[in-house]
Amino acid sequence: MASCREDEEGLRMIESRDVVIIGGGPAGLAAAVELDKRGIHDVVLLEREHELGGILRQCIHDGFGLSRFGESLSGPEYAQRFIDEVRERGIEYHTDSTVTSLSPERIVKVVTPSGLYIYKAKAVILAMGCKERSRGSVMIPGERPAGVFTAGTAQAYMNIYNRMPGRSVIILGSGDIGLIMARRLTLEGCSVKAVFEIQDHPNGLDRNISQCLDDYGIPLYLRHTVTDIHGRERLEGVTVSEVDGNMVPIPGTEEYHPCDTLILSVGLRPENDLIKDAGIEIDEKTSGAAVDENLMTSVPGIFSSGNVLHVHDLVDFVSLESERLAAGVASFIGGGLAHDRTLQVIAGNGVAHVVPQHLCSSSAFSLSFRVRSLSSDSVVRVRQGDRVIVEKRHRRLNPAEMVNVDIAAGSIGKEGNVEVEVV
Amino acid sequence: MRKCFTCVICPNGCRLEVEADGGTISVTGNLCPRGVEYANEEITDPKRTIASSVLVDGGVMEIASVRLDKAVSKSLIFPIMDVIKALHVAAPVHIGDVIIHDILSSGADLIATRNVEARQ
Amino acid sequence: MLYYTDVAVIGGGVIGSAIARELSRYDLSVSVLERNPDVVCETSGRNSAVVHGGFAYDTGTLKARLCVEGNQMMDTLSRELGFPFIRCGKVLVGNTDEDMEQLERTMAQGFRNGASGLEIIDGSRLHELVPAVNGAFALFSSRSGILDPFLFTIGLAENAAENGVRYFLEHEVERIGREDGRYLIASGDDLFSAEWVINAAGLGARRISDMLGITGYRVIGSKGNYLVLDKRLSSLLPMPVYPVPSNTYMGIHVTPTVDGNVTVGPDAINTDDFSYYGVPSDKMAFLQESASVLWPHIRRRDVIRTFSGILPKWVDAEGRIQDFRIEIRDDIAPKAVNLIGIESPGLTAAVPIARHVISLMRERTELHLRELFDPVRKASRRFASMSDEERGMAIAEDPLHGHMVCSCEEVTEADIIAAIHNPLGVSTITGIKYRTRAMMGGCQGGFCQMKIEQLIEKETGKKAEDVCYMRSGSWLLAGKMRKA
Repeated sequence: MASCREDEEGLRMIESRDVVIIGGGPAGLAAAVELDKRGIHDVVLLEREHELGGILRQCIHDGFGLSRFGESLSGPEYAQRFIDEVRERGIEYHTDSTVTSLSPERIVKVVTPSGLYIYKAKAVILAMGCKERSRGSVMIPGERPAGVFTAGTAQAYMNIYNRMPGRSVIILGSGDIGLIMARRLTLEGCSVKAVFEIQDHPNGLDRNISQCLDDYGIPLYLRHTVTDIHGRERLEGVTVSEVDGNMVPIPGTEEYHPCDTLILSVGLRPENDLIKDAGIEIDEKTSGAAVDENLMTSVPGIFSSGNVLHVHDLVDFVSLESERLAAGVASFIGGGLAHDRTLQVIAGNGVAHVVPQHLCSSSAFSLSFRVRSLSSDSVVRVRQGDRVIVEKRHRRLNPAEMVNVDIAAGSIGKEGNVEVEVV
Repeated sequence: MRKCFTCVICPNGCRLEVEADGGTISVTGNLCPRGVEYANEEITDPKRTIASSVLVDGGVMEIASVRLDKAVSKSLIFPIMDVIKALHVAAPVHIGDVIIHDILSSGADLIATRNVEARQ
Repeated sequence: MLYYTDVAVIGGGVIGSAIARELSRYDLSVSVLERNPDVVCETSGRNSAVVHGGFAYDTGTLKARLCVEGNQMMDTLSRELGFPFIRCGKVLVGNTDEDMEQLERTMAQGFRNGASGLEIIDGSRLHELVPAVNGAFALFSSRSGILDPFLFTIGLAENAAENGVRYFLEHEVERIGREDGRYLIASGDDLFSAEWVINAAGLGARRISDMLGITGYRVIGSKGNYLVLDKRLSSLLPMPVYPVPSNTYMGIHVTPTVDGNVTVGPDAINTDDFSYYGVPSDKMAFLQESASVLWPHIRRRDVIRTFSGILPKWVDAEGRIQDFRIEIRDDIAPKAVNLIGIESPGLTAAVPIARHVISLMRERTELHLRELFDPVRKASRRFASMSDEERGMAIAEDPLHGHMVCSCEEVTEADIIAAIHNPLGVSTITGIKYRTRAMMGGCQGGFCQMKIEQLIEKETGKKAEDVCYMRSGSWLLAGKMRKA
């Protein structure tokens, strides 16, 4: 960090920037590049890991970039395209830089090997991604032996650190990372015995069910969950039970499965610790910030996109969302962005959550949401009061896949909340 | 022979029912012609890609990720994995480096998918 | 190998380590035999972490006297050993006339026991102290507090080690014999010849007592399950909130931790299995329900983990819970100090218990103080506890403080490396977790466990397959995926 101004103690460096981007994964990288394209150059991107790329670095399977680049890339390759562009454009970034606090006044404290830095920013972009739900947060009963990993942790052990988490594996949850890991572990010689999913539908993409499980004869049991964990030192086995319609285990259905490794793929949640610090309004449904159509949070000048806003299933959409965000940030820096939240967007019938949650103007924007349950031949309707704004029939709606609906400029009126529903 | 599987070409995820009888294949459940194409390939010669890791000698990381640049016959997956597991490559490794050209005569190249610089 | 030692302490938990540290003030060679790879694997680290006032025990008991003493010395211990301790006070909340009578009885008993800072407060004062609580009135104990039970125990053990005590981890005692006036203790391939034996084996104390020939004790396990809640809730709970207690059970309470989480528990279920720490799902729901009566803020989504602990309770033939038993049976096992039924308030009373043990020894032998004893643990300060200025200076001194390994709890690479090089030689994943708080935050190690595992390999030279999670045999990884 070159042009630093040191304060009295000589150890805290205080700097000003137009934009501080927190997180150097796909969301932060795309935002940085797009800001640069829009002429915003006084930007710094902060990444806590030793290299840019975020979680994509450990997602070595392919299938990334089909929408964005029209080809199927691995995670590291997808990230590298953006990293190369950040470097070519000379955008300032710092790795090994961990943001430890964020204030509503947009003061960002950063711990780095070269000291403690404090940035004062006109705008802050939250792009910290998400974290996995762990054993505790899904409250799996039983003992606490070694051998219980979240899918992402197991993935990092294998794909970054060259370490095998175990040999005989059960997977709980049918999230995409769990499915990908089922295949990866099988190819490495592990015995992956089964995947259990508490819901009545898989949580991952069809492609992954087919190519990661079916191809290798790994059974997927829906409406099943782990109800006990056995082993004092290393995991020895798990008890699995069937669940009823309310996802409550049915007594008498318990089955014991020996294994030395349990991999949890039970969902992702926005990494929102800093958001809480800054007093930003959080949407209880997404666990991310509640934003307006420009992806600005309840604190003026603080924006959010990617998985820290709401968990996506395709990185391509994270990039697109962050590019849209950059447009809003550029307008904000230029002083021309409305941020009086006048209307709410409501997740109506059959909709689990929706982004944005608020509207400030009638400019064009994109609605992203997830449905609550699988359905076929149903209609997604966006309406304001009784007035239908968009209506579209979908062959198939799947909670595992985010739905995006573009809303044209001027189509939202001044009065009445907007509701998204499945009918 | 009758088989059911999900078409993975697009997010619609059509549930295909395929009836294969000698040389003729009939497909139902598809929304578009790409489903028929996919079903044909799945019945006659299903193809898959592989992503994995290879050991790197003298690198800042122990391993580099790799993948095949195109899908290969499903029957080649485990033989190719055996080759990958035995490989050593010398640092530096860069994205796109061809580690093995036309691996096991599959028609696909094994390419590096991350950069691993040499240890100082 | 055969080791000669003046004193062999069996059990390295909070009691064994407090005894070892007190003994290290004297001119003695002291060895601690601990069956686990760390000192906080059992009861010492598995409790409510409350520093008790000493009012809830029968007057005249060791529990009452040693608890009051322990409460008084906790500030000094916290300074010397560097563990977090907050004298936040606590409230025991009541609603009915019977509750009021019981609280008044408890307060009177407290004063008889020598406890101070006790008063009955009305509803408005209660809600000033703890706005988010349900209740009409309370007994307020201003001298009660909370501490970090891991760092308290580790602090005692590491300070003992710094003062010359030798820790033998993963040394389970298999046999104790007596030859030529010395004890011979067998553990795996090692033999220890000791003049004195101290049985501080906690859950294993009855087994050791039997080996010493002191038989006949009835000890039952009382298992308590707990929920740990997200830090989000700590602002609603400035101090522990208890129901009205009896003298043998404190009831399910909600307790802030020194690190800003909240624990809910314990239930108390009798068990004969002293090694099963599984938390059953019906108990999770029960805890949530029971504690919500006192403090209605417990939601499932805020639960970040569960844990359980087992208290060894000495009971009489009718099953009534007895006092701590701390004895030397000159007739059966001379020069052996036997501690039975060291349960709650053992954490609060650990150092007074140790001093009591030494007073029994001094009735039988002369002990000489050493000059070199240093009561201050040499541990480096954790980055998370530093001000901005201190952080800047710490990074300037050691750039590894600028490498954040666990961002949830702000634990740096320098913190982790210091913890790996602890004086006990502990190198388990949970050993690093308890010493640093890494992996205790919202992601529960999802982003940092791998980095910590790598640092353990690098700093200790261990192979991947030899890194343990917590107990002996708890291998974390199956080894390398691709072998060079």
